[in-house]
Formats: sequence, structure tokens, C-alpha cells
Amino acid sequence: MTPLLAFTRLVDRLNERVGNLVYWLLLGSVLISGANAVVRKAFNMSSNAALEIQWYLFAAVFLLGAGYTLLHDAHVRIDVLSSRLSRRKQIWIDVAGIVVFLLPLCGAIIWLSWPIVERAYLTGEMSSNAGGLVRWPVYAMLPLGFALLLLQAVSELIKRLAFLAGQGPDPHPKGAEKTDEELLLEEMRAKHADDRLEIAR
Amino acid sequence: MSRLAMNRPTMALGTLGLLVALAALAMLIGLPGGTGGDTAVVGSAAASEKGWLASNIAPVMFGSLVLFLITGFPVAFSLAACGMFFGLIAVELGLAPAALFQALPLRLFGVMANDTLLAIPFFTFMGLILERSGMAEDLLETVGRVFGPIRGGIALAVVLVGAMLAATTGVVAASVISMGLISLPIMMRYGYNRTVAAGTIMASGTLAQIIPPSLVLIVIADQLGRSVGDMYRAAFIPSFMLVGIYVLFVVVLAFVRPTWVPALPPEARGPREADGASGMRSLGLLAAAAVSIGIAFAVYYEHIVAAVTGNPVQRAPVDETIVMALCAGIGAAWLFALINKMLGLKLLSQIAQQVTFVLIPPLALIFLVLGTIFLGIATPTEGGAMGAIGALAMAIARGRLNMSLTKQALNSTAKLSCFVLFVLVGSSVFSLTFQAIDGPIWVEHLFEALPGGAMGFILAVTSLIFVLGFFLDFFEIAFILLPLLAPVADKLGVDLIWFGVLIAMVLQTSFLTPPFGFALFYLRSVAPAVDYIDKVTRKRISALTTAQIYRGAIPFVILQIIMVAVLIAFPQTVLMGLGKTEAVDVDAVKIDIPQGEEEDGDEASNLFGAPGAAPPGAGPDAPK
Repeated sequence: MTPLLAFTRLVDRLNERVGNLVYWLLLGSVLISGANAVVRKAFNMSSNAALEIQWYLFAAVFLLGAGYTLLHDAHVRIDVLSSRLSRRKQIWIDVAGIVVFLLPLCGAIIWLSWPIVERAYLTGEMSSNAGGLVRWPVYAMLPLGFALLLLQAVSELIKRLAFLAGQGPDPHPKGAEKTDEELLLEEMRAKHADDRLEIAR
Repeated sequence: MSRLAMNRPTMALGTLGLLVALAALAMLIGLPGGTGGDTAVVGSAAASEKGWLASNIAPVMFGSLVLFLITGFPVAFSLAACGMFFGLIAVELGLAPAALFQALPLRLFGVMANDTLLAIPFFTFMGLILERSGMAEDLLETVGRVFGPIRGGIALAVVLVGAMLAATTGVVAASVISMGLISLPIMMRYGYNRTVAAGTIMASGTLAQIIPPSLVLIVIADQLGRSVGDMYRAAFIPSFMLVGIYVLFVVVLAFVRPTWVPALPPEARGPREADGASGMRSLGLLAAAAVSIGIAFAVYYEHIVAAVTGNPVQRAPVDETIVMALCAGIGAAWLFALINKMLGLKLLSQIAQQVTFVLIPPLALIFLVLGTIFLGIATPTEGGAMGAIGALAMAIARGRLNMSLTKQALNSTAKLSCFVLFVLVGSSVFSLTFQAIDGPIWVEHLFEALPGGAMGFILAVTSLIFVLGFFLDFFEIAFILLPLLAPVADKLGVDLIWFGVLIAMVLQTSFLTPPFGFALFYLRSVAPAVDYIDKVTRKRISALTTAQIYRGAIPFVILQIIMVAVLIAFPQTVLMGLGKTEAVDVDAVKIDIPQGEEEDGDEASNLFGAPGAAPPGAGPDAPK
């Protein structure tokens, strides 16, 4: 188990690093889009490259961030029923889901999209818009993002199996990560604590 | 809406509700059984020669999806895996071409290149920055000071601030938390009826679902293949009407049950002027001046435009005039207050000064975002980006922006975008197969079995979405159900923009309905659960019980249902926002859409269905 767990630590660190890098691209996308709108209106100038870079950046964020999102267990679930199951049963469902759904899915998408990326690279395919950008870097996000997701899926699988075998901690204990609502609540509670001091016994 | 991750108290009713939800889903799957299995076999005479699976693959696929989803495995992956799995089966059975999945990467590139979806991270980021910028607290404090001295004042302040927060932060949870922590203690301290206090806060919080720039409307517009700008403009009048009936409710209470919504006592009304006056007269004068300037601007707007541009006087569209007039009036008030402050003229009372400086930046932000989108100056994506930049500027101006907040907002936005876009990726894989096996025709046949034509469809769909809204995240409903429902609605002649606004309103009602509505859980998490001694009055105040929270929601749920009924009975309420004027055959809910609206291309250029829209009833499409 030890070398496998070492592998999970490596993958987790990789996706954490990638996640923390790509979210800055969002800020870039916001600034470019805002500037672009102003420039277009004020100087009547528009550039297809500036328009396209916005969705290039966003595609990079959500595709490259997929592994990171899985690492933080933030892919949305319908937990009406499963929240009533024991933690072990929930983890068994995840194990089955990763093996049966997620790994084949990642493999299939990488396998289907790679030839297209390769062809776009070799032919130097360009955007059909005048002054647009070269296409292969954004196409490449698809297999790359799913590769990161695949790695993370393997890591999550190992961590869950280790937990089930009693050789590791719960990968996502309840309440380990604070949501935005909880952070806001905490901050406001701290500020307004004196409004209703002294809870009566 | 961000994902609910707060503790949802376990309830005995939970299991019951779950059964209801499952029954609703089963209804969708199970109908062909009731009406004879052959309804599921779609347009193929040779159906009997095929195997059972080949004849029933669409319902089996949909049923499997429901099963996969309720295991609790991430929705995106369950959807995609279901699509792949049944795609392979369909190819094997000869129902789909062998090259089915060759089209998949192109579909996914289509999702990536859809720049309307960029509005999702932009507005999310804007909301996350604003909710932590302290804007909500200042607004509640200031508007509360203005309305506090009148009966029902604090409740009115909650409704109005709720509407402003909806148009800026757009996050239900954040609104309910802010108002629950700031306004609820005040209302409880000064003897408000607790159910009224709780209901007002929850209902005002859910306004974020329906008031533009709601994420709900963006996603619905995308899934229905309509422009986000049109969806926003269509939602504008209904959301104003909704705020209006909330206000009306509070006002009626103030007359009928004055003890339920007392005015604040004099000692609680905040600092007074040096001469002991409340300073309200000054505020009133400033407001009157601003309104007069606005009206004057509206009346002469066409001439002002002509004078500035040097062009001959042209008719200006009504919505453009309104937006510009509001800007002019409010801008004048702000300029006056600013000059007054800089020069130390002391022409304004302290309260007038405070109102101006607290209220105007968020209003300016609303105009920057919604005004430009409504006027067609900016696309919703650009509006979102400018809103996000405006939010950053406001947070900097308030000294609230720091590295950790920025990082945290970006991080949350990235994760939300990722899960939303992956659900969309998943649903693209699912629909690739579902379309190949003629699933949409199966769905259509399901609804054909319903009595009542378009109206039967609308009632069935709204009920289904209402129930699902208790249990499912909004994004799941939008990405899984809407693509199935949209073609049916379109075929029945239902206007999809109107349909989208209706769904948004129904979902909002769902989020407010006890015992499962999300808003109730958020209020529960911030409302005092044990008795406490109030710091100001030194009186013991009893806890807000869960029963009081539930009862508080009920009158507002009724108001919501009235609004939904109004939308169904009078589709004009939605379509007026689009500048459409044709009469509508209410029974058939059939609305003809001018061809121009169908275009999906450059939203900036076709934002106005009818430029220079004539007043209702006088347009070229006068009532038939």
C-alpha cells in the first residue's frame, strides 16, 4: 500500500498545484473581457483574438481544474439518498463509480479527442474568424484535462480502498472544507457577536 | 446558487419527501407502462421484430440515469457514463451509427467555445467578492434607518435590500445569512411577529434566483437556446411585480396587524442631527430633486441625445430612456452629495449623506451590469466581466479586498465553474446517445399522453420542477430536464423565453417551500436556536423555532403561487419586457415569436426585437 499511497500524494500535490495556478486564468479572463468591452465601445475596435482568448482561458480553467475539483470533492452529487447511507457504503459507491464510470469515461475521451488535437497541430488549424487564434492549444485542453482527471480518479480510488482496508484516513471527512457560506457566516458572526451576547442557559 | 453544504437538520419528513421525488421521477419513466408499451416504440413499424431492449431503450436509458444519479456519485460522471454505456449498446443493436462517438469531441469543443457560459464564472466571482465586501451590512443598516421609524419599516428594508442584493451578489445563501444576522435580531428585539420576520427574510433572499443577473436565467437561456439578454429582459417585469407584492404584503400587514410589524422606538432610530431633527426632510428633498431631474431627463431625453450627437431628434426606445433617466437622477444626487461633502457645505442632513453614499455605488453597479445588457451595449458576458471588475473596485474602495479573499473567491469560482461545466459535458455525452436512439420522441409521446395540450404540459412540468427543486441542485434540473422538455415545449407552441422565466419562478418558490426549501435551512443556520439576552434592551428573547420559520414561509409561498398563476394566465407580463405587443391566446399559451428572435448569434446586435418599441397595443403586431 505504501508506494501506492506515495503515488496518491504525488498526484494530489500535482492537481493542487494545477488548480491553484489555473484559477488565476479566471481573473485574466475577467480583465480581458471587461477591457475588451470598454475598448470596443469607446474606440470602436474589436479583435477576434481578444474575444477568443476569453473562452480559451475559461476552457483551460474548467478542464484543467477538473482533477482539482475532484480532489476537493466538489463535483456536485445528488445526495438525497446517499447521505443516509453509512460512510463505508458511500465510499463503496465511489469506488464502484470510479471503476465503472469515471476511469472508462476519461480513457474514452482522451482516446477520442487526441487524434483531433494531433491533426489540428499538424495542419496548423486556425480559427475561422479573421484574426482568430490557432486552435490546437485549446483542443489540447480536452485530453489534458481528462488526463489530470484520470490521474486524480486513480488517486481517489487508492485512497478509498486504503480507507476501506483500514489503512488510511477518510479522504473527505464531513466538514473538512469550509464552504463560502460557512466562511461568510463565520466572518459575520465574529463581527456581530456582540449583538446578542450571553446566550441564556 | 452555490451548492448547499451546510448542515441540513435530519427530519422525519425527509424520507417521505424522498418518496414523493422518486414518485415524480417514476411518473416520467413509468407513463408508457400505463398507456401501453407501444407509445415508447417510436415511429417504427418494425418494432415488434426488434428485441425488447431495442424497443424500449429510451425509457431504460432514462431509468438507468435516475438510478445512477441517486447513488450519489457525481452527476457529471454518471451522466456521461450513462451516455457512453447506452451508446455502445445502441451501436451494438444497430440503433445508432457505429461512428456515433466520433462526433463527441466536436460537441465538447462546442461547449468550450460557448462564450455565453463565461457569464457564469463572471457573475459568480462578482457575487463572492461583493458578499464579503460588507455592502449588505451597510445597505441593511442604512435602509433600515430610513424606514425604521414607520410601521413595517424594517420588513420593507429587508425586501428592498433583498432585491438590491439579488441584482448584485445574486446568491440566495449570502442574502439570507446577511439579513438573518443583521435584520432578524433587530426585528426580534423590537417585537416583530416572528413568523413575519422569518418569512420576509427568506423570501427576500430567494429573489436572487429570479432577478437578473441570476445564474439560473443564464443557464435556462443557454439550455433553451435563447439569448441571455432576452431572458433577463423578460424576467425584469415579473421580478419587479414580485418585489411589488412583497412590499404590498408588508404594507397591508402594517395596516391590518400593526402590532406585528411595529415601528422602531425613537431611541433605536440612530443618531439625530445637531438640532434634534431626524434629517428626513433633507433626505426627502434630495430624493424629490433626484426624481424631478430623472423625469425631466426622460422627457427631454430624445432632444438631449440629438444635441449631444448632432443628429436629428429620433424616437428613443422606452427601456433605454428609463435606464438613462434613472442614471441621470441618481447621478445628480450623488454629485450633489459629493460636492456638499468636499466643500463642507452642510446642505444635507447626515442621513441624506449616508443614504447617498451607501446606496449609490451598488445602484451604479446594477446599472453598469444590467443597464448595459438591457440597452444592448454589452453582452451578458461582458456585463458580467464589468460587474466583476466593479465589484473588485467596490471592495477596494471599502478596504475589504485582500489577497486571501481574492484567492478564495477565485478558487470557489473555479470549482463551481468546473462542476457546472462538467455537468454540461456529461449531459452532452448523454444527449448524444439519447438523440441517436430517438429519446426525445419518447419524451414527446410521454407528454402527449397528458390531457390538456399545452396547458396540461405546463402544469405537469411546473409541478414536477417544483417537487424536484426540493432535492436537486438547480444546475442538475437545468442540464438534465430542460433539454428533454424544451423540444416538447417548442412543438406545443410554448414561447421558450416565457417558459424559462416561469421555470425560474417555480424553482424560486420551491426553494422557499417548507420543509425542504434551501432558504429555510440557511435561515435556520443563522437564527438563534436557543433563548438569549438581548444586549441593547437587556430583555430575554426566546429562540426562533423551526416551526416559526416554516410558518413564516407560507404566506410568501402563497404570494409566489399567485405570481406563477399570473405568469401563466398573462404571458404578456413576461413578453412586455421584450417589447412585444401581440395579444396572446391564453388558453393555448401560444405565442408567435418574430423571426429575428430566433437568431443565436451576436446578442448585442439583436437585443431589441422591435427597436423603438411602441406602447402596448399600438405596435405593428397589434392584437389579432
